[in-house]
Amino acid sequence: MYIYDEIDQKLVEQRVAQFREQTQRFLNGKLSDDEFRVLRLQNGLYIQRHAPMLRVAIPYGMLVSKQLRTLAYIARRWDRGYGHFSTRQNIQFNWPRLEDVPEILAKLATVQMHAIQTSGNCIRNTTTDHFAGLAPDEIINPLVWCEIIRQWSMLHPEFAFLPRKFKIAVSGALTDRAAVGVHDIGLQAIEVDGVLGFRVWVGGGLGRTPIVGKLVKPFVAWHDLLTYLQAVLRVYNLHGRRDNKYKARIKILVKDLTPEVFAQQVDEQWQLIKDGPDKVTEEYVRDISSRFVWPKYDPSLTEIEIIAQETANPKYERWLRTNVHGHRMNGYVSVTVSLKASGVPPGDITADQMDAIAEMSEKYGFGELRISHEQNLILADVRKNSLYSLWLELDMLNLATPNVGYITNIIACPGGDYCSLANAVSIPVAAAIQQRFDNLDFVYEIGELDLNLSGCINSCGHHHVGHIGILGVDKAGEEWYQITIGGRQNGGDSTDSSLTNNKGGGAAIGRVIGPSFAREQIPDVIYRLIQTYLRLRDSDAERFIDVVERLGITQFKQDVYADPLLAKAAISAEVSDA
Amino acid sequence: MLRLIRNGMLEVDEWHVYDNSTAPIPDDESHWMVSLATWKNNFQLLSLRKHPVGILVPPDADPKDILSIDVRNLSSQPIALIAIDFPNYTDGRGFSLAQIFRTQYGWTGELRAVGDVLIDTIHYLARCGFDSFLIKEGHDPELALKAFETFTVHYQKSYPQPVKINS
Repeated sequence: MYIYDEIDQKLVEQRVAQFREQTQRFLNGKLSDDEFRVLRLQNGLYIQRHAPMLRVAIPYGMLVSKQLRTLAYIARRWDRGYGHFSTRQNIQFNWPRLEDVPEILAKLATVQMHAIQTSGNCIRNTTTDHFAGLAPDEIINPLVWCEIIRQWSMLHPEFAFLPRKFKIAVSGALTDRAAVGVHDIGLQAIEVDGVLGFRVWVGGGLGRTPIVGKLVKPFVAWHDLLTYLQAVLRVYNLHGRRDNKYKARIKILVKDLTPEVFAQQVDEQWQLIKDGPDKVTEEYVRDISSRFVWPKYDPSLTEIEIIAQETANPKYERWLRTNVHGHRMNGYVSVTVSLKASGVPPGDITADQMDAIAEMSEKYGFGELRISHEQNLILADVRKNSLYSLWLELDMLNLATPNVGYITNIIACPGGDYCSLANAVSIPVAAAIQQRFDNLDFVYEIGELDLNLSGCINSCGHHHVGHIGILGVDKAGEEWYQITIGGRQNGGDSTDSSLTNNKGGGAAIGRVIGPSFAREQIPDVIYRLIQTYLRLRDSDAERFIDVVERLGITQFKQDVYADPLLAKAAISAEVSDA
Repeated sequence: MLRLIRNGMLEVDEWHVYDNSTAPIPDDESHWMVSLATWKNNFQLLSLRKHPVGILVPPDADPKDILSIDVRNLSSQPIALIAIDFPNYTDGRGFSLAQIFRTQYGWTGELRAVGDVLIDTIHYLARCGFDSFLIKEGHDPELALKAFETFTVHYQKSYPQPVKINS
């Protein structure tokens, strides 16, 4: 974990004091609704369907046990005993009172946490690989670089009021697990001629206009990273559209200017500042890195085989197969704590579970955790020889659902049950799908599959990059659901690491298969798609996404709409759409 | 009520924005502020004045328009002050314009924020190079004075800490 120094601590405390005073002025009628709205958003506070919602940043997804216990405390004291992990390495509390928020922020500051810039038209919490610092395939440690970006972007005086929100993702590994292709800026670590640096993708994003980012700079050396980011942001701040919020993201600017002209404008700005005071020095990187407390791994641990008598337990064996991941240190693994048990809203976690997981992170590792954009928790450094007893504990708490990477590990936004933006509910749909696919053997037979679900076009559930995506749409006041297939967050070009590669970091946007469906049809639609896939695949090594890539969407589409029951619902959706 | 913060103190605002509907440029008197367009179109005349004008810059300005031909250093120009307009405080273009004037065009004179200038934004404004602030009505200027010290530490090295209030 990164340990705050005096300056870091002072900043978050002064931010709390500022927000306390702003809230007071608002409650006394000295700040208008309009004035306060943006100020509270930049502190993570939304006004939601039932109550305010507070979004707390978990910078680059890294969390330690003490912080998780504090989140549990907040959930109990000021919320209703639970929290919700979003898809962007944040945790959301759905029931705090406005008057209590300054107090909550003050509590967070005591464990070096904050809600700064988790909302609003500013640079948001920078996200990364959920195995950052742990993965065996890392070129750089993205945690250090994310902290450098966190400091640069936090309370940035020039970029607090951008045309629209701005999200940066960093991948430090060979396999991109940060979805760099679908962020406003995606940074992919790369080494060129012995110098470390980043490929820079700009203008990717989901939402109303899903688009894969463009490679605007094939290589930015590490010491130029912050000045290059500053140049990108300055061009966007000055020229991004402000007349229409649906055309205000940087992706529209990049598209309107063309990536070449955009890159050229950025370069002009960059040349003026690249050797200025914001150039990153070796000393600075070393200083940031030295303020992380890195785990003291036991070098005497060696690779061990899982003991055979333990694997005789089929439930345990399944969990080993899906929820345990490779680690850069011998004798250690990372473990996904599943927040996707059937019947539980994806990403929801109770205060008791938080406390228990904090305890386990200390007992089986070094008290470190990560948050994944798939809305699960990761125990960072688990000794391989204690996996069985860890599993027993997790299983008892309903946190060992062995489905990571499979169809029932659904990514979903909170949807219409909580969110005032949503057109449709998400959680009941996710639950219905999980119920339809409750046979684990069948789930494994289907193989690797990302199923993502958003309750509206804001796409918080990342449906565009799900192998199967589901989007809630509103047609004449009724909930309908549109299905896409063939989306992916990475991997589309994993073999091509050349600089001329321009495929958006391997991401792809899913294609709509046809007219929307009624809510109750969705599990059957998904089942149909799976049947088509199983029929068409050339072996069980060919995944759903591979088949869609090889054959396109036509056969899937035909099969779904050939079903009279499904087609009927779809037609009535079309009629009400007309 | 005094609403102008300048040199860390509250002052009377003596400047008037010139309305060019009757004549293209104002008489040669002090404290006239002209639009950027008026400045650009009448640069020759305006630079001969005994009383230099101020220039009011809209958020969508092309910053190059403030430069006369072949001049890259604004401080050598006969300009009394530059004011950047914030029609709404959420329009952040003025922050970048200020940085360009200060760090790329060499403007060392008065740089004023006008329009929707809040207690809550002047700290950022000051760090981007503004040194004069016309606080919007309804926002207590005394509280605004204190807001310069909202944050006493910062991360971004090239953006200065606001100057300490000398009251």
